[in-house]
Amino acid sequence: MRWLAYVLNRLAMMVPVIVGASFVCFLLLRASPVDPAKAYLSVSNIVPTEQAIAAVRAELGLDRSFWSQYGHWLWQLIHFDFGISFFSKLPVAKELAARLPITATLAVSSLFIAFVISIPLGIASALRKNRIIDHISRILAFLGASIPQFWLAYLLLYFLSVKLDWFPLQGADTWIHYVLPSFTLAFALIATYSRLLRAGLLESMEEPFVLYARARGLSTYKIIIHHVLRHAIKPVITAAGMNLGKLFAGAVIVEQIFSMPGMGGFFLESVYHRDYPVIQSYVLIMAIAFVVGNLAADVIQAYLDPRLTQKTNKGE
Amino acid sequence: MLRTGTPKYSFIFIVLIFTIILAGCNSKTNESSPSASVSASSSASESANAVADKTLTLSWPKDIGPLNPHQYTPNEFFAQGMYYEPLIDYGEGGKLIPKLAESWDISEDGKEYTFHLRQNVKFSDGSDFDSAVVQKNFDTILANRDMHSWLGVIAQIEKTEAIDAHTFKITLKNRYYPALQEFAVVRPLRFLGAAGFPDDGNTANEIKSPITTGPWVLTEYTKDQQAVFTRNDNYWGTKPKINKLVVKVIPDAEARVLALEKGDIDLIWGEGVISLDSFVSLKDSGKFETAISDPVASRALIVNSSKGPFADLNVRLALQHAVNKQALVEGVTNNVEKMADTIISSNFPYANIGLKPYDYNLETAKSLLDQAGWTLPEGKSVREKDGKPLEIELVYMGPDQIEKPMAAAIQSDLKQIGVSLKTTGVERELRNKRMETADFDLLFWGTYGAPYDPHNFVSTNYEPGYGIYESQQGLAMKDELHQQMKDVLLTVDEQERQKLYTSIFTILHEQAVYLPISYLTNIAVYPNYVKEFKFPAHRDETPFDTIDIQK
Repeated sequence: MRWLAYVLNRLAMMVPVIVGASFVCFLLLRASPVDPAKAYLSVSNIVPTEQAIAAVRAELGLDRSFWSQYGHWLWQLIHFDFGISFFSKLPVAKELAARLPITATLAVSSLFIAFVISIPLGIASALRKNRIIDHISRILAFLGASIPQFWLAYLLLYFLSVKLDWFPLQGADTWIHYVLPSFTLAFALIATYSRLLRAGLLESMEEPFVLYARARGLSTYKIIIHHVLRHAIKPVITAAGMNLGKLFAGAVIVEQIFSMPGMGGFFLESVYHRDYPVIQSYVLIMAIAFVVGNLAADVIQAYLDPRLTQKTNKGE
Repeated sequence: MLRTGTPKYSFIFIVLIFTIILAGCNSKTNESSPSASVSASSSASESANAVADKTLTLSWPKDIGPLNPHQYTPNEFFAQGMYYEPLIDYGEGGKLIPKLAESWDISEDGKEYTFHLRQNVKFSDGSDFDSAVVQKNFDTILANRDMHSWLGVIAQIEKTEAIDAHTFKITLKNRYYPALQEFAVVRPLRFLGAAGFPDDGNTANEIKSPITTGPWVLTEYTKDQQAVFTRNDNYWGTKPKINKLVVKVIPDAEARVLALEKGDIDLIWGEGVISLDSFVSLKDSGKFETAISDPVASRALIVNSSKGPFADLNVRLALQHAVNKQALVEGVTNNVEKMADTIISSNFPYANIGLKPYDYNLETAKSLLDQAGWTLPEGKSVREKDGKPLEIELVYMGPDQIEKPMAAAIQSDLKQIGVSLKTTGVERELRNKRMETADFDLLFWGTYGAPYDPHNFVSTNYEPGYGIYESQQGLAMKDELHQQMKDVLLTVDEQERQKLYTSIFTILHEQAVYLPISYLTNIAVYPNYVKEFKFPAHRDETPFDTIDIQK
């Protein structure tokens, strides 16, 4: 029950954060020195005559007051209506619905790949500290931290797609289209997670409970898997929670290079077009993704380590 | 301390569940917005017959858009251009070619245009192309007149009438000679079939389906991924040699190059679609044919004569002699763009008037600055006049891959003659704002190109509000110049028109209010089985009607 109360409490705290984010975003956009009506005209290669600007302003609802625009937007949001994109003239909800699944799949699959590779690697390099596997993991960590994502993406495309023809170059139709982009995104994460886990494991191995466990005659394998890992994994969970939001924000470069019509490219385009309804909705969704990512990390942490919820409850 | 009874792999399990749920959410985003009548066909059997079928696959950076002939973004120019047809087409050197209008008459006062529409033209849904449907298209275009007010002819239209089934008359408020050229533009003066209109007849927001008289019909569409066009076998004109056109959306320029190398696409074509380095390396590889078009538009600096050092003609002339344009074109564009001596290239109508180019000569530039009173004090590297250093500012678009290196090169050119050039990179909208308020000394700018120039060029020069008129306020003969620009658009007589254009171009050249740098071109790269590739004269038209594939 404590755990549930903790989760509910955290969920309630999300609301002010998200409302605040929506207002700040709305305010900042309107403080920008550029008129979206003019931006629309110049992107369309239309000479911005006064009549044309007035026509576009009226059409986009930009001639109304700030509060009227904000109020209208909030009212729409309550009804799950994200407004109509200035550019595509389609409902923003529909535009996002087409792109969010692609970005979400990419985000989750890259986190999955990162976990599947970094956890065994982290454990192995902790158990075999300063042996070959540890050195390999260290080199991988250096590479992951230093190779620019776009370069890795081009290398993978050039060798695995153009030369060997194992993977498609572009698109997001089937799972095979996700392999290279997910791996590109996961590469940097693997480096971070495996080193975090290694450090956590080495630290936990010094704890008294490991000594007791050894005294009880448990094997190293059992100690690691059953007892140490749940402590050592915590920093990795925290990092993954933060990364989840970031990955949902759309890996702009990776999406562009692999021609995946996800959130990143779409958002970039809408910033370029000053497409207010899209930018606002996007920022809101990102705020939610970050909050949910962190929440998920905290909830998993609390589940792994019940002491965390006890502290919260004491504080109330 | 230890709770041994808890699930052991709980976190992995949670992540797995999450993965499965989200992966399940992903579905192929097959949207039908551009066409309710699009019939999906089996893509597997299509690719199997690709060779026999003569399918051309090309890449484009963006989605084609909803194929609305009367609207702007997100409709892509090229898609609207290949899909819909105008009354009149624009050929080499600005020659007007009959398209949906077989012929036309112009009244003596130059205000009434009577178009004799081509007979036996059918839309892709089988309906007739006649003056009723032309009227329907003009009705919605004129209902949104404000949106299209940038196009001179639309602002001038007084009334339109269907005289009979195949005769259509347009009456203008004033004489306006570029009317015919403007009937060739890609948007909004092209024709949608009646059944494609929404119920209220207004296409400002959407169309029901893209019904065209043109040679291609959209048959398959996945937004942001790919569009398939099939040859319209009932097309009235010369049918394309290829029968299918696949447009793949590849946003990244290098990925486009990889796709060509892999054989996923058969053609890269357009303006700035790949980096100029990639173009040169594909050309040097010997594996592909490459082509560069004739000039389609100009890249220039606007020189602000209304304030600062450039208010003096000698300083403006010094700039013309000091910038090594050949080096810019070679070093920055790898000769893909062509060096420009005049603001409008001589392959444009009325522009071939033999203006004498300014040569690259630092000594001439230095002596012009001396004459202007900007002298170099001993021991200093920047010229001064009345104790004030000769400092100017060049505004360029920050993210632009060409403008930035060009700005840096111009900076070092000017340093050699003792001018300190500050280069300021700004984002596109801020750059537009600075242009409109003439808040610059030098600013990168481009002309509209064919078929818009030279008439659109002159109207952006004489109309206040764009920043060009404002930047010409330092000219002694500005009123005369701008009057000539207004007059030329009203001329009926060819000789008089040429005389006025000659005068306008000569004044602009002699007064050095532009520094022409280069002419933009379209590029094309394709494997050798793609035959008969030919660039259209019109900047936004497509080459698909002549292309053949012979594998």
